[in-house]
Amino acid sequence: MSLGRYIVARLLYSVPVLIGVTIVVFLSIQLVPGDVARTILGFSASEDRVQVLRTQLGLDRPLVIQYGHWFVNVISGDLGISIAQQIPVAKILIGKTVNSLILMFASLFLVISVGFVLSCLSAGRFRTLTDRIIVVITMILASMPVFWLGILLLYFFGVKLQMFPISGMYNMADPGGLGQLLHHLVLPAVTTAASSIAIVTRVSRSALIDVLSQPYILASAARGLPRRDVVLKHGVRNMLPTFANISGLQIGYLFGSAIFSEIIFNWPGVGLQLYNSILQRDTPMIQGCVLVVAIVFVLGNLLADVVVHLLDPRRH
Amino acid sequence: MAQISIAPAGFPVMQEKGRSSLYFVWRGVLGDPVARLAAAVLLLVVLGGLFAPVIAPYDPFEANPALRLQPPGTEGHLLGLDNHGRDILSRLIYGARITLIAGVVPVLIGALISIPLGMIGAWYNRVGEIIMRIMDVLFAFPMVLLAVMLAAFLGPGLPNTIVALVIVLVPYNTRVVYASACQQRSLAYIEAAHAVATPDRKILFVEMLPNVVSESIVYSCTIVGSVVITAAGLSFLGLGVQPPAAEWGIMTSEGRTYLFVAPHMSTIPGIAITILVMAFNLLGDSLRDSLDPRTRLQLVRRDRSDSSPERAN
Repeated sequence: MSLGRYIVARLLYSVPVLIGVTIVVFLSIQLVPGDVARTILGFSASEDRVQVLRTQLGLDRPLVIQYGHWFVNVISGDLGISIAQQIPVAKILIGKTVNSLILMFASLFLVISVGFVLSCLSAGRFRTLTDRIIVVITMILASMPVFWLGILLLYFFGVKLQMFPISGMYNMADPGGLGQLLHHLVLPAVTTAASSIAIVTRVSRSALIDVLSQPYILASAARGLPRRDVVLKHGVRNMLPTFANISGLQIGYLFGSAIFSEIIFNWPGVGLQLYNSILQRDTPMIQGCVLVVAIVFVLGNLLADVVVHLLDPRRH
Repeated sequence: MAQISIAPAGFPVMQEKGRSSLYFVWRGVLGDPVARLAAAVLLLVVLGGLFAPVIAPYDPFEANPALRLQPPGTEGHLLGLDNHGRDILSRLIYGARITLIAGVVPVLIGALISIPLGMIGAWYNRVGEIIMRIMDVLFAFPMVLLAVMLAAFLGPGLPNTIVALVIVLVPYNTRVVYASACQQRSLAYIEAAHAVATPDRKILFVEMLPNVVSESIVYSCTIVGSVVITAAGLSFLGLGVQPPAAEWGIMTSEGRTYLFVAPHMSTIPGIAITILVMAFNLLGDSLRDSLDPRTRLQLVRRDRSDSSPERAN
């Protein structure tokens, strides 16, 4: 299958999934026990106000019609109005999504670069001290709750050593500058990426060990190639499909971890917004946040699949 | 019979004859010192939770305001005290209960739902299409995000946390069962059962079930660790079990406010979660390896060299 056709097929496959996503997000509100409007306004609100909100949210109409209206609005970019802030949800989310994407790209970059280096080091020196240390460290990292790691990093590097800022994206007194952004990015990005780095390293390491035990590797070593060239020039190429695959799978985990690191480091992204909206019972905002993340996630997976497809030598 | 069919062509499969899966679990998991250690840690946590009233030095809710935020090593309080002056060690021991329940129960219920769902999906093509498309939609949500959304809408509390986690887990386990059941469907014993007009119900739940269930169990064991983390994470966000309950995620979250004055308050429960999750992960890895046909070959070879030293060169 040519690349173009693969991408188109993959895109077409994403359309029903995305429609399904909107149905799940729409229906999720039905899980709220009791009356949604009553829950949002609290028990002290008058029946009139509850009725107004019910009409405003369209809760008095049949479910299918509600979904139809909501879907048409979503397609045209209207995600409703935030109850807590009284501003359109979509307007709030645009800025937040950009901030979250910055964090995501930084974390993904860390996952790919650190994961690659660690797995090459570890598999290339299989059963040496380096290998064992990397295996133990990744084992611990993979088992750490992300919220706890965030707190630890915040305490040691932010409070004790004062090396990195512990909150926000920019210095409020003097905002701006890429350097400042990067400085603020370090701790949340490391927190988000840590467990994914561990998983990528563990999986790619065993893939590379498998590759390195094959006869063609022995043959290239027998021809007198230095170990470094054997691993990096001959071995790595056949590890890449596995590496790309497992790195792509991490996108979902990164979104999950990002919720926690955004909250802990006060990073003004979708995760922090979601958390605040939950505390404020801002239902349209919660739905908007989940929908945006799910859409970005589906598109990210699509991108990852295309890259995996490109790297797979069996494609030809 | 399933084991033999997995072995690569040309490999002398006869050695495997008479060896049940259980044998390989036994050899693989208990023969592995790391897995033994992990199992011991788990046993310790389970026993600690079970016999908490006997072991714990204090009541988990008993507050001693005079000693609040005192660090580990304070007289009579090995791991220190929290912001209300409650003994952290006692809360940790009692907390093992909810932490374990919230991590393990969703996996069990999830497996109970996924196994029939995956098998029925694999057997009836049209139903399978529908089931797997629904699962695809659920896959489109990052795991933690879906759990957070469901927990937020369902409301706090242990039962709701479990419901949210079950919904999140079902697609993953169903996919594993579905793939395995699809493989089984084309094997001769199923065809034979079908040919003698065995009812579908019996084919699925008598013939196929034992061959499908092991993969689902192995998969379940490998994900318990991340479910423990997710459940603790929901409590950390205030969406799961509510304070003043003793639960490790809540304890970490409560300590966050006092991070600058009493870092031990959130560090200690975090270490506890990490150790518990690591034990689950190591045990899960070992279990998966011992049932993986490729690593199984190594065990078989080791067996041969054990029993006949003259051939081990």
